[in-house]
Amino acid sequence: MASTIERVKKVAAELLDIDPSTIQDNARFIEDLGVKSVQTVELIAGFEEEFEIEMEEDDALAAKSVSKAAELIDACL
Amino acid sequence: MNSVVKKLIEIAGQNPKTLVFPEGTDERIPVAAAEIAALGFAKPIVLGKPDEVAEIVAKAGKTLDGVQVIDPRESELLPVFTAEYTATRGVKEGVAKSVVRKPLAFGGMMVRTGRADGMVAGVASATASVIQAASVTVELSAGVSAPSSFFLIVMPESDGRVFVFADCGVNIQPTSRELAEIGVVAAANAKKLLGQEPVVAFLSLSTKGSATHPDVDKVVEAVRLAREMAPDLCLDGELQVDAALSARVAAKKAPESPVKGQANVLVFPDLDAGNIGYKLAQYLGGAQAIGPIMQGFAKPVNDMSRGASVEDVVAVAAVTALQAS
Repeated sequence: MASTIERVKKVAAELLDIDPSTIQDNARFIEDLGVKSVQTVELIAGFEEEFEIEMEEDDALAAKSVSKAAELIDACL
Repeated sequence: MNSVVKKLIEIAGQNPKTLVFPEGTDERIPVAAAEIAALGFAKPIVLGKPDEVAEIVAKAGKTLDGVQVIDPRESELLPVFTAEYTATRGVKEGVAKSVVRKPLAFGGMMVRTGRADGMVAGVASATASVIQAASVTVELSAGVSAPSSFFLIVMPESDGRVFVFADCGVNIQPTSRELAEIGVVAAANAKKLLGQEPVVAFLSLSTKGSATHPDVDKVVEAVRLAREMAPDLCLDGELQVDAALSARVAAKKAPESPVKGQANVLVFPDLDAGNIGYKLAQYLGGAQAIGPIMQGFAKPVNDMSRGASVEDVVAVAAVTALQAS
């Protein structure tokens, strides 16, 4: 199975309709990938669906990059 | 309870609206909902597990008479909202389900689909979470590019005046267009809540060209845009706050202005000014500040402070009910 960070990229790429291979490990969702702030709720929902977890809203909002989101998700698994 | 809140409750009670409270796990919410139902000015729906909500209410010595409790995860509305969200937002069904089963978004979908007239949240959620959930469910009103907020500023009884101050809580540095939208939407809220014709002053450090600066230009442009958006609204700027509030000063500094020193809606040029302005009214002027009240969504959604009391929730619920009327 793909690593957590690759699956995080896949979720973000689906939401943004971009190629996941273009996403760097340290890319920031809003500043680098162009996630709009209102899409954050869908990004978090995407992670929850992909990893079958439930994320604390405040913690999830604080994970502002691909690598930070992967760290947070690993801690939830 | 102060006299203005009592009056808002009395007016709201003439046509009770349905309000959804997504944070039923926070003990202030079921208690406030029970109080609202007992006062009869709105029909509250609390989101949460029915047994937990009932336990909180019983502990407070109140009853759930008139309060509807819905558990979003068990609700028959979940597939309905999932389908609606998938269709409107263009996301995968699994993502939609994961969004709408969360209480804030579920509450937003109740408002969006007309099952509730307004939503009151924020006592247990960050402002960003409330705004994001409302933005993807209730959505912004047509022609509004960003949510904003206002305070009702209730002057001491001896003065008797009530003002709307906007935006004192959301937009740090609004553009001219955003400022114009804030003024126009705040005027509509003032009319609903104060029952008075709004007189809108776009505030600045300058009155009618008395100073030259890009910050002044921003307000001048906002006034031009606001006039385009609402040609029948009594508004003017750029005005210093004394020219907005004093007929004597207005006669000297802005004799042609339709505001004539009688403004009841003050639009601040940025959040620095707005935040300082409402706190000065509160701490030096002895005013009571009710808010922040959100505006700009297609239907009313309010975000409360995490420090809000049960009494604050009841007051904001009354404002929300009136925004929905």
